[in-house]
Amino acid sequence: MMNRFIRRIQRFKGWIGAAAALCIFYGLYLGLLDSPPDYYQGEVVRIMYVHVPLAHTALLAYGTLFVGSLWYLWKRDVLVDNMCHAAAGITAAFTILALITGAIWAKPTWNTWWTWDPKLVSFAVLLLIASGYLMLRTFVEDPDKEGRYAAVMAIVGGIDLPIIYFSAEWWRTLHQPLSISMRGVSMSGDILLPLAIMSLGLNLLFIYMLMIRTQMLYLTNLLEAKKGRLLSHAHLSHTSS
Amino acid sequence: MPFFRVIQWVVWKDLISELRSRETLSSMLFFALIVILVFSFSFAMDQDAAQQLIAGIIWVSFVFTGIIGLGKSFSAELQNDAIEYLQMSPAPKGAIYLGKMIGNLLFMLVVEIMLFPLFVLFFNLDIVEEIGLLLLIFFLATLGLSAVGTLFSALTVQIRAREVMLPVLLLPLAVPVMIAAVEATRGALEGQPLVIYSQWIELLTIFDIIFTVVSFWLFDLILDS
Amino acid sequence: MTGFYLRWAGVIVIVGILALLTSQHYEKHLSSVSPDMVVTGNDSKTTLRVQGMVKSGSLTGNPEDGHAAFELLGASNSLKVQYEGPPPENLRELKTLILIGQWDAENKLFQARETALVTNYGYVASAYIVALLALIAFVFSMSRNVTFLYQEIKESKIYEPELGP
Repeated sequence: MMNRFIRRIQRFKGWIGAAAALCIFYGLYLGLLDSPPDYYQGEVVRIMYVHVPLAHTALLAYGTLFVGSLWYLWKRDVLVDNMCHAAAGITAAFTILALITGAIWAKPTWNTWWTWDPKLVSFAVLLLIASGYLMLRTFVEDPDKEGRYAAVMAIVGGIDLPIIYFSAEWWRTLHQPLSISMRGVSMSGDILLPLAIMSLGLNLLFIYMLMIRTQMLYLTNLLEAKKGRLLSHAHLSHTSS
Repeated sequence: MPFFRVIQWVVWKDLISELRSRETLSSMLFFALIVILVFSFSFAMDQDAAQQLIAGIIWVSFVFTGIIGLGKSFSAELQNDAIEYLQMSPAPKGAIYLGKMIGNLLFMLVVEIMLFPLFVLFFNLDIVEEIGLLLLIFFLATLGLSAVGTLFSALTVQIRAREVMLPVLLLPLAVPVMIAAVEATRGALEGQPLVIYSQWIELLTIFDIIFTVVSFWLFDLILDS
Repeated sequence: MTGFYLRWAGVIVIVGILALLTSQHYEKHLSSVSPDMVVTGNDSKTTLRVQGMVKSGSLTGNPEDGHAAFELLGASNSLKVQYEGPPPENLRELKTLILIGQWDAENKLFQARETALVTNYGYVASAYIVALLALIAFVFSMSRNVTFLYQEIKESKIYEPELGP
């Protein structure tokens, strides 16, 4: 009864997790110890090496959710639906972390925890969309409807995100032009290498998390379905006898 | 069943039932009046402050009343299980969507046109020159709102906690409409040259086209038994 | 289950060791001393990092060319500084900064070669701790859930083929 796909996942899961851990540890070493402090921001610039990869991974997670939703509407595979559900939860987690680390970085550099920067606005809206998606899923009883409605929500949100970003950017430049810039953060090799390694590590970690979470949701559904069937079976045999 | 006939019928059906009950329009209107009153009390505005905030206030009240109308649009179909007939009907679902969307657009526009004179009156606005442009902005923004809103109204009406879920799902997605509508309205009310805020009108148009098409395509999946 | 918890204990231990090593590295290479401690000391070999404020009205020379002399204020003592190095952008009066250089005990002069910004480790540390701990906790709870679910499925013998109608 177990889906073949899950077994195939099981085989590579450990390797991907180990690779993710290695990349993250190497990235931490590069970011925290090896790379030089920034000329203007000093040591605080090191927050970038965790903040930017978190944000990229959140977008990757939403991208996975978007593509997975299209795939689900096309093939109607329950496992793909579970994967979308898993990706939405991970999107929310990474988005929250990106927002928190962003706020911690903004305080010493821009002297404020929060500003209406287009990227921040887009990420806040992304968090709202992802949590709306998760809420929506808890409010639908029928599993088939749940998958369909959630996929519709994810697709509309995915199409909306770039529009949100551009409108927030125009809005921002209208009201406070150029108050915030990445002054002094030149994208040299010193910065790019830890960023790339951390991004790679977190992307691998995302894949690892996606596998575990998909597995978790799939098994939860399986257990519930089986329990329900066993119950109805017991009920049937009881009433017929 | 011919496609445009279905659209016509759905719009006609909504208009007739609204004319008989006057439920949606009256609740939207009263809610909007309350919102305007609350705003004017809570800000205690003088003339200058009103000029600064008025575009935002107009759109906050329009969007919240719009959500009331959108929620009513499909929850009215729950009576006598009318929604199941919509689900089972052989009519193309896209046509039902367009009919519902046009109906919502009409209701919202009617309320907006009735409310706008009140804003002009209460906040001493000067709109005579730009009235055509303002109407265009209202139309485009409301179209965008009802394009996404109709889809989510049909979606949330079939789940639990529907009154909460409609704004929770709709408002984040409507952020671009809100920003563009507020900025364009502000530009028009302040009498700025069109060049300065024409990009917002373009953004609204793009949003309308994209989400009418996307919702039209996705509506099949929502209204499916 | 024991294997699962052992594996996660291993992960936590590794993370803890790395965190300890990192903080020690920072203590060693990036901690700064106050001018008061430098003035009383006689050590002229090691490179020091001194944090203090440039005394108002004491800055002479051309910081733009990389040559300057000034006094660095501590809590009670001040330190005479001779700066020779790359043009420092942060060097101005009343600015609190870190100087890197050697203490010349005979001439009572601190010879600085480099400047650095006052560091805010709190922000960096909290950002990394929040991000890493949250990720670890998230992955841990999911993995534990999966393990529990597998066990439950095994125990309730749900693998068995369904009975016919």
